[in-house]
Amino acid sequence: MPETTLSEQLPAGQTGTPVLEVSDLSAWYGEAQALRNVSLEVRVGEVVTLVGRNGAGKSTTLRSVMGLHRHISGNIRLDGQDITSRTAERRARAGIGWVPDDRGIYASLTVMENLTLPPVVDRDAAWSLERIFEHFPVLHTRRNFPGTKLSGGEQQMLAMARPLRMGAKMLLVDEASEGLAPVIVTQIGDIIREIKKSGVSVLLVEQNVNFASTVADRHYLLAEGEVVESLGNDEFQSRLEELLHHLGM
Amino acid sequence: MGSFIQYTLQGLASGGFYALAALGLAVIFGVLGVVNFSHGSMYMLGAVGTVVALDEFGLSFWASLIVVPLVLFVFGVLLERGLVRWLLKLDPLYNFLLTFGVTLVIVDLVKRRYGSSGMPYDTPAGLRGQIALGGLELPTYQVFAALLSVLVCVAVWVILVKTRVGMIVRAATEEPDRSRALGVNVAMWVTPVFGFGIALAGLAGVLAAPTRSVTADMGTNFIIILFAVVVIGGLGSIFGAVAAGFIVGLVEAFGQAYAPAYAQVLIFVLMAGVLLVKPTGLFGSGEHS
Amino acid sequence: MFKSSLKIVLGTTVAVSLAACGGAGGPGGGSEKISDGKLVLGVLNDQSGPYKDLSGPNSVEAVKMAVEDWKAAHKDDAVTTDIEVITADFSTKPDVANTKAQEMYDRENADIILDVPNSAAALAVATQAKNKKRVYINVGGGTSALTGASCNKYTFHWAYDTYMLANGAAKSVTDSGGKTWSIVYPDYEFGQASDKLYTGAVEAAGGKVIAHIPTPFPNENFATFITKAQQGNPDVIASMHGGGDLANFFKQYQQSGGDKSTKVVGGVVFLSDIKSIGAEPLKGMQFTDSWYWNMDKEARAWADRFQEKVGTRPTAINAGNYSAAYQYLEAVQEAGTDKSDDVVAKLEGKKINDIFLRNGEIRAQDHRVIHDVYLAEVKDPKDIKEDEDFEKIVTTIPAANAFRPLDQSECSM
Repeated sequence: MPETTLSEQLPAGQTGTPVLEVSDLSAWYGEAQALRNVSLEVRVGEVVTLVGRNGAGKSTTLRSVMGLHRHISGNIRLDGQDITSRTAERRARAGIGWVPDDRGIYASLTVMENLTLPPVVDRDAAWSLERIFEHFPVLHTRRNFPGTKLSGGEQQMLAMARPLRMGAKMLLVDEASEGLAPVIVTQIGDIIREIKKSGVSVLLVEQNVNFASTVADRHYLLAEGEVVESLGNDEFQSRLEELLHHLGM
Repeated sequence: MGSFIQYTLQGLASGGFYALAALGLAVIFGVLGVVNFSHGSMYMLGAVGTVVALDEFGLSFWASLIVVPLVLFVFGVLLERGLVRWLLKLDPLYNFLLTFGVTLVIVDLVKRRYGSSGMPYDTPAGLRGQIALGGLELPTYQVFAALLSVLVCVAVWVILVKTRVGMIVRAATEEPDRSRALGVNVAMWVTPVFGFGIALAGLAGVLAAPTRSVTADMGTNFIIILFAVVVIGGLGSIFGAVAAGFIVGLVEAFGQAYAPAYAQVLIFVLMAGVLLVKPTGLFGSGEHS
Repeated sequence: MFKSSLKIVLGTTVAVSLAACGGAGGPGGGSEKISDGKLVLGVLNDQSGPYKDLSGPNSVEAVKMAVEDWKAAHKDDAVTTDIEVITADFSTKPDVANTKAQEMYDRENADIILDVPNSAAALAVATQAKNKKRVYINVGGGTSALTGASCNKYTFHWAYDTYMLANGAAKSVTDSGGKTWSIVYPDYEFGQASDKLYTGAVEAAGGKVIAHIPTPFPNENFATFITKAQQGNPDVIASMHGGGDLANFFKQYQQSGGDKSTKVVGGVVFLSDIKSIGAEPLKGMQFTDSWYWNMDKEARAWADRFQEKVGTRPTAINAGNYSAAYQYLEAVQEAGTDKSDDVVAKLEGKKINDIFLRNGEIRAQDHRVIHDVYLAEVKDPKDIKEDEDFEKIVTTIPAANAFRPLDQSECSM
């Protein structure tokens, strides 16, 4: 596929300001290059997914954006500010919310403590506990349970609620639907739409393309560390069969 | 039955030293990822400091219980700022070797200044003799040492569970990287936590002064048992360190009572057994990767 | 991180605990007239480790004092005034002692080696002395094998030995009414031997040992062993521990209420131990001592000179080194040469009284130096009027009864 600019690829109506801009991101593990010149963009209130086979570089992209993987070159901007040289902690304080693939729930902390551990980084954007419990009632009932006593779905909700309480504007979500029952996946989908409605952007790594097509506005298709296609959701849905085949699913 | 209770108390008393020091070791490992080999020498400094405080400054045992750990806290802060901090980004082996070197230097400096044989320290006046408990005569000092270490462990536990600092320490202990990705300022707590861990080892040393031989080498054996304690409890598990400290104390006491020839080996047999069945230790989750 | 750290901790634990199990041992253990024109006295001892305060640098000072005093006594008739004192540290390791002794004899031309306060190291040096045919006078080591099965023509044993330690206190204390004994001993060669020697001496005096309690070596926590020792209410509890273990034992013994009616006996106790533990936990403890700085006028006078020089009171081993060095020089003077065989001939059978030896005699048959020894008791701190005056002499054990009788000796030279 010939190189095309992002704006040419954008479906009509998606012209908000970019929150996250990644340009020419390359990443290495030792000598092995995991990402090659990945460029992508997430706009305000947009849900964007990274799809691709295992090892295509989806999680590495996410970890590099978060600042957890530092052996990189290229440029990462948040709200137009270059954050490439910042530590993970400072990126989090600038508004990037981290939802790791293992959900990252602290076993020795209660649900409540898990929620309140990270600092509030933006008072206006931060969800109040009331608002969180309204959207995640199960977290309220279980607020005094140790984190690991929650079911997988509950842990996923907690992991997503946590950056919302911080007031993050850009959520990085790694494998939200992985290993969850269909009914829970539907719930997670509802929550992502809810998050989107509140103006928070989401960059989602997803194996489950069916799920991706129900929540996302746009998709980047990764293969061998490169962005091979960038698709609007309509095109994505119409080519679902072909994409499934491409991903070997 | 009488001697059973005595052995239990004796186990709790010596387990208290292990628990306090292992607690310090665990929080330092948790927050900094540093296996602090110098912990044994900090225990020694606590005991030697108590003797010196009395001989040179006339400080009573009771004052030393507060002052000596505070001094060691400051020492720990300087050690972290001056040395440990600069190696945190490297493989943990570097800091392990650094703290090993620090141990050698400290032990030799103490030998130079105070000699290599012991330093006398008497049981403080109020803690001599025995107290009668349910028809049993128990050494007052042992009861005191056991109670105080339990108390301090409980107090530290309350701090860990009830305060924001404690929450951060627990979180960082579980997974420092993730905590940073959640914007938690772990770095801010690194120095005080290191100092605090050192202070706990020092406190164990203060408690040891009236009941153990106070020498420059007293930490050498202690650190080996301490490593066995943290391995049994689970490296990186704070609760595990405390529990294993008391368990090892009890194993030692009952081992000495009923199988003296195997008493010291028993601890390492226990360690090997735990590793075989549960390599992450009794209370470790092994989430550090 | 978890895994690599676990490996580090495990690796170290195993390595260091193995190392800790290894090292056991306590103080128990030619030409013209003058070759090269000078006499070389080598002091081989522990200059930095656990026996530093027992002997160490202060013994080197004592030997230097002996040289000065001897020169002053023989102004014009001295066979030589060119006398050098050299020293080496064997760090309590027998193999190091062996190498250092070899170096001293071969490379530094030492005519004599003094001290070596560790049994295994002492035996190694004795073998070197035998092979090189040079004089060796042990002062700080304890093993009675030096004048027993392992005796040789060039080796002498000056101050004390394990037989004398056990025999002195065990007999005196049993005679004065301590009929039932519990013996607590460190579970390695030296401790096991002491247990046997004590048991033999107690039984010979009509007493009975009701409990033998081995403890790990080294050991920090003696509480359970103390509880065991107290079971059966013995008249006497004897601890065969040395150094740090001794301190641990008595600190914890006192806390467990041991200071009531039971008598306590220490198997291997020196002034340096009392200094490092303090008199309070040890008060009332009895032990055999080979010399005490404040035991009589002559000892006292020398101890004052010693203190002026080094700033502390001498241990029996410091004084023993002085005595050994001085008497060696006397023997060289009498022989008119430093040839080992001639000097040994002068030493053998010599009867001596000096600042250290009372009614002393160098037994020709086994080279054991016999002399009066003492049953000492640690004073109550409130009775201590002078710095470092920790001991009270309870009785004197005459030279003839203090050491292993010749008919029991396994020595054949």
